[in-house]
Amino acid sequence: MKRLNDVLAEQQSMSSVVGLTDVFEGLASMRIAQVKDQVLSSQHFFNELWTIYSQIRVNKQFSYGRGYVPPEVNKELLIAITAEGGLSGDIDQKLISWMLSTYDKDKQDIIIIGHHGALQLAAAGIPYKRYFKLPTHDNNINVSPLISLVRLYSSTVVYYQSYVTLMVQDIKKIELKQAIEEASKKASHTGKVISDENYIFEPSTADVASHLENTMMQITLTQTILDSKLAQYASRFRSMKNASEKADDMMRDLKREYNRTRRFIADERLKEVINGLSKIGAPS
Amino acid sequence: MADQTKTLKVKVASPYQVYFDEPALSISGVNKTGPFDVLPGHHNFITLLQPCELVIRMNNNDQRKVIRINGGLMHVKADMASVFLDV
Repeated sequence: MKRLNDVLAEQQSMSSVVGLTDVFEGLASMRIAQVKDQVLSSQHFFNELWTIYSQIRVNKQFSYGRGYVPPEVNKELLIAITAEGGLSGDIDQKLISWMLSTYDKDKQDIIIIGHHGALQLAAAGIPYKRYFKLPTHDNNINVSPLISLVRLYSSTVVYYQSYVTLMVQDIKKIELKQAIEEASKKASHTGKVISDENYIFEPSTADVASHLENTMMQITLTQTILDSKLAQYASRFRSMKNASEKADDMMRDLKREYNRTRRFIADERLKEVINGLSKIGAPS
Repeated sequence: MADQTKTLKVKVASPYQVYFDEPALSISGVNKTGPFDVLPGHHNFITLLQPCELVIRMNNNDQRKVIRINGGLMHVKADMASVFLDV
């Protein structure tokens, strides 16, 4: 049987754990709501840009912001977005295994985002071109260094974690150009044409189209990173919820143990009193 | 001298924030050629903006809104100037 003071101390520390997990749970759900708002707002911005782009681009292929210059590297670029820390369960492992199942080092190069994925690639002995830290903040994510690499390659595929619901996260892959065209389906298509005949361009139509392609790639990549972060927050939220429920159960057990210990001590004292009384009252 | 009663709708936004969305008398910025102003009735115009201070003249009392930018794209059409700031 534990001492009453020990049970009390354990109960107090468990109550702090319950409080902390509740705070973390609240923080995770708040960040989920913030990220969702950001994705919606950037989608609106993207739609406006796509509307202009689709009016300028007449029979022209999406060229990853390179203009008419061919790609420098005739390979496919694979980008994997993983978690920074190791508290993401096995979802990163699944993501890396999926990417490596079709990986061909002669035809593909890898860029890894997130320390967790980099560790797994290193453990598998797979070299990667560049490593980026997963941004800690959700606002103004700077993807320019990533875009400058994407522009060098003939095509780009992104592997990432996706938020389905608060309790379900999935892994997905997208081809960047296809993802931009997918996202553009939500934009309005007026069918009007913007050309040198009805517009003044500064510096030129091609430069404006390349700039729009760059910006749309940045938005799409940022949205993919945000989706990954959303999935990670949801996963953390789920862990915190489970931990909070477990801590509540332990709190109940400790309360029961505390009451049992208190009763045991009271019983012991009563026994001692009765024994004492019986000794005093016993005939010599 | 431009007509000081006419306005154009000016919107300055980044993917995650709208910085200005109101009628104004003019908007000034800098592109590769140099500083320029857009007034109501401007011809359809698309330009890439250099890092500069966007100056929006809001009314005849010389009330101005100044937004420092790193670059972006301005689209002017039918008395509406939209500035899409770089990410």
